[in-house]
Amino acid sequence: MKIVVAVKQVPERDAAIRVGADGRWIEEEDLSYTINEPDAYALEEALQLKEKHGGEVVVVGAGPERVTSTLREALAKGADRAIHVEAVDLGERDTLGVAQVLADAIAAEAPDLVLTGLQSDDLGLGQTGVVMAELLGLPHATIIMQVEVTASGLRVKQELEDGWFQHVEMPLPALLTMQSGGNKLRYATLMGIKKAKAKELKTETAAAAAASPSARLERVYLPQRQKHTEMLTGSPAEVAAKLVQILKNDVRVL
Amino acid sequence: MRVAMLHCGGATAIGFLGRAGDACLLGTLILAEPEHFSGTEITLLLLAMLASAGLFLQRLWPILQTIHHAQPEQDFHLRPLGRRTAAFVWEVLLQGKVIRQRPLPGLAHAFVFWGFLAFALVSLNHVATGLRLGFLPPQSWAGRFYFDFAAVWALLVAVSIVGLFVRRFFVRPIWLGEHLSYESGVIAGLIFLLMVSYLGAFAVAPGGSAVKLLWWSHTAALLVFLPLIPHTKHLHLVLSPLTVFLKRDSFAQIPRLHGDEDFGLVAGKDVTQLIALQTYSCVECGRCTEHCPAATTGKVLNPKEVVLGLRSYLNTVGPASEVPLLAEARPDTAYAPTLSMEAVFGCTTCGSCEFQCPVGIQHVPVIVGLRRGAVNTGTWEDDYGTKLFLALEKHGNALGLSAAERDKFVTKQGFPIFDGTQEYCLWLGCMGGYDPKGREIIADFARVMHFLGTSFGVLKKERCTGDPARRLGNDLLFGTLADSGLKSLEAAKVQKIVAICPHCVRTIAEDWREYGIAPQIEHHSEFMARHRDRLPQQQGQSIVYHDPCYLGRYREQYDAPRQVVQQAGALVEAPRHRERSFCCGAGGGLAFLGEEHGERVSHVRAQELVATGADVVGTACPFCNTMFRDALHETERQPQLLDIAQLTARALPSQPPGGEP
Ligand code: SF4
Ligand code: SF4
Repeated sequence: MKIVVAVKQVPERDAAIRVGADGRWIEEEDLSYTINEPDAYALEEALQLKEKHGGEVVVVGAGPERVTSTLREALAKGADRAIHVEAVDLGERDTLGVAQVLADAIAAEAPDLVLTGLQSDDLGLGQTGVVMAELLGLPHATIIMQVEVTASGLRVKQELEDGWFQHVEMPLPALLTMQSGGNKLRYATLMGIKKAKAKELKTETAAAAAASPSARLERVYLPQRQKHTEMLTGSPAEVAAKLVQILKNDVRVL
Repeated sequence: MRVAMLHCGGATAIGFLGRAGDACLLGTLILAEPEHFSGTEITLLLLAMLASAGLFLQRLWPILQTIHHAQPEQDFHLRPLGRRTAAFVWEVLLQGKVIRQRPLPGLAHAFVFWGFLAFALVSLNHVATGLRLGFLPPQSWAGRFYFDFAAVWALLVAVSIVGLFVRRFFVRPIWLGEHLSYESGVIAGLIFLLMVSYLGAFAVAPGGSAVKLLWWSHTAALLVFLPLIPHTKHLHLVLSPLTVFLKRDSFAQIPRLHGDEDFGLVAGKDVTQLIALQTYSCVECGRCTEHCPAATTGKVLNPKEVVLGLRSYLNTVGPASEVPLLAEARPDTAYAPTLSMEAVFGCTTCGSCEFQCPVGIQHVPVIVGLRRGAVNTGTWEDDYGTKLFLALEKHGNALGLSAAERDKFVTKQGFPIFDGTQEYCLWLGCMGGYDPKGREIIADFARVMHFLGTSFGVLKKERCTGDPARRLGNDLLFGTLADSGLKSLEAAKVQKIVAICPHCVRTIAEDWREYGIAPQIEHHSEFMARHRDRLPQQQGQSIVYHDPCYLGRYREQYDAPRQVVQQAGALVEAPRHRERSFCCGAGGGLAFLGEEHGERVSHVRAQELVATGADVVGTACPFCNTMFRDALHETERQPQLLDIAQLTARALPSQPPGGEP
């Protein structure tokens, strides 16, 4: 089975984020980057499928030069090849534009299965995978925890709300967006890094944006921390009743 | 002359006066040697000698070949010779370690060893006599002196070997192994026969058939003994002096990896000549296991069996083989727990085994080497281990917390950021930066530094030194962390570091060397001991001090923390202390690997500390502190648990209101 995993490089979780001077994006200087967490799970699933059923795992990532470090890490963890779609203007494109860039590279590989994270840790739009499926003309399923290969295609475990899951059967080729936590991630090894040196990392240039974006970032800002204190007054019974209301309706813990 | 000798030889006439009686006056007994050897006898002797030497070589040769064909040792330097010579003199010639760590059997062993040395010349002359080439006539001045000298040793050897025999076959300490080694009995018998047949020759009349009989029995014992050496533990007679002389530079040193194909000890091909030599030198004394916190609390790990497991691998599979060393990676063969992942990942790297081993076997590099082989190739799968590695990869601390947590703590404490103007960089470490108890220790140590007027700052960003990754054999992760640590210290222009964690100290000072030279670092015990005159002297409480492995055996720092403790109260010693201190169970990354099987190491140690009756358990390592914090819930008495920094800080005047924290 040939599996393509689309990965995104995002700032480290605990990096100190500063908003850029134009207020439209973050300051990228001395920020450390890592693989988007749900994408790491997508890669893990791909590697496990390969270990079980054989085949090839190709990772695809778009963005500036720095993205290659994340691709190399994916090679070190066991991916066979990597494709870097070089593009410095991803910020200027909307989801469709980004998905198009990735879909172009993926289509050329004609994979049996495309995996990617359900959303990104930075923007969190949760659309790229789905739009890619549309562009590639593949059936898709989202928020997937587990993937099983069956005689006719796939059986996947999809997360619903409130701790519910459903199992879905689907044909191949297909695209799945993966949820975090469905697998155990593996640690990077010295042998993996050494082997990765000999693996292919191909760089392609992204085609120019086809259309002007239909959506763009207006303003980026750090969340304002708000402390809100409200005094409840009245008899103990009234206070208790009000408190229950707040806990139920506003805080929603009851 | 003959008459005098007879009397003297009969040992009844000491003090007999006569022309040739001066010797007797001096109390000299003279060794009786056969006077004549027939041609047949000489032929027989020559044949027996040839057979004995032949058998000896035939058995020794393959072992030497195995060692020779093992991976050549890289980065090995004979220099400095001084250190090697000193170790050789103390450990081999003076038998210092053997005696010090097991006094009675050690002394018995030392007598046998020294007796053997004294006997070298005797044996040479003995055999030479049989070939009519004797060079030390018993009647000569030199002969009389030397043979009497050797007789004293023979007596000591005979008594000692009987003692050792009784110990092995009747006292039977469990460390010698469950199975009685009958060959040891045979060898003890041979040694006894050697001594008795030698001593007997002082008591018989020269020229008689008894002399011949004694001579031949001595010869027979000698020639039977020789071929028994190579395939019994007595091989150490030949190898161990070399092993002690050649052992790797520093304690528990983890060697560098070389080239793109070296991932640690994966298969026979990775076993180096030094490791091979060491495995063949093991005398199976079990000292390593006796002191091993894992083995003595019911874990699978048994350091002696690791060594013997490697030896049997080399004997059966051979060096230069691709067959994996660890049992789990060799599913086709019968599972051998002795050399398995389960065993080697149970090691706290406390170094007791390596410290104890009388023949210079270095277990820690082997055990860590086997872990490296498993981790660097991704063969080791362990949920806790993976979680730890991912936490270190992602967050740069072993506790898996966000780095922002450390920033908050630093701000809250008002620790200045190191900017090159302060004297010390205070290294927080994972425990000091993220763990609640570790933070208390750091905060108290910072108060001590304030009190002493020593300026310090902390790094803006600090990542784990990589200690748990290093000890668990993850070279990629360790390398990344070491590299980034070195870079941030360099960028901040740090000259001197002080840390509360012996693991940080060891890793920065020794293990980082593979990646660059770190600034000078010391442990807070050393810092406080140096300034102890200016620290308040407290009275009253008795404090039992627990030596952390990484401060004691690894850094040989036993006195500094004790001086700090003595400043804070009355020092009490645990039964096992200083270089024999018993591990808390946290080292080697084990603090992060989840529940132990069997008895908990920390509980055993905590009970031992509590049993001293001391009011306070004093620690000098935040990991020991955490382990005991949990373990002390289950002891019959709960003494206070304080780090030496806390012991010191509690007597300091409280901060003036509004002053620096
Ligand atoms: S280092 Fe300590 S735990 Fe490991 S084998 Fe040696 S004695 Fe046992
Ligand atoms: S390794 Fe050393 S301490 Fe352990 S049994 Fe062998 S000789 Fe004794």
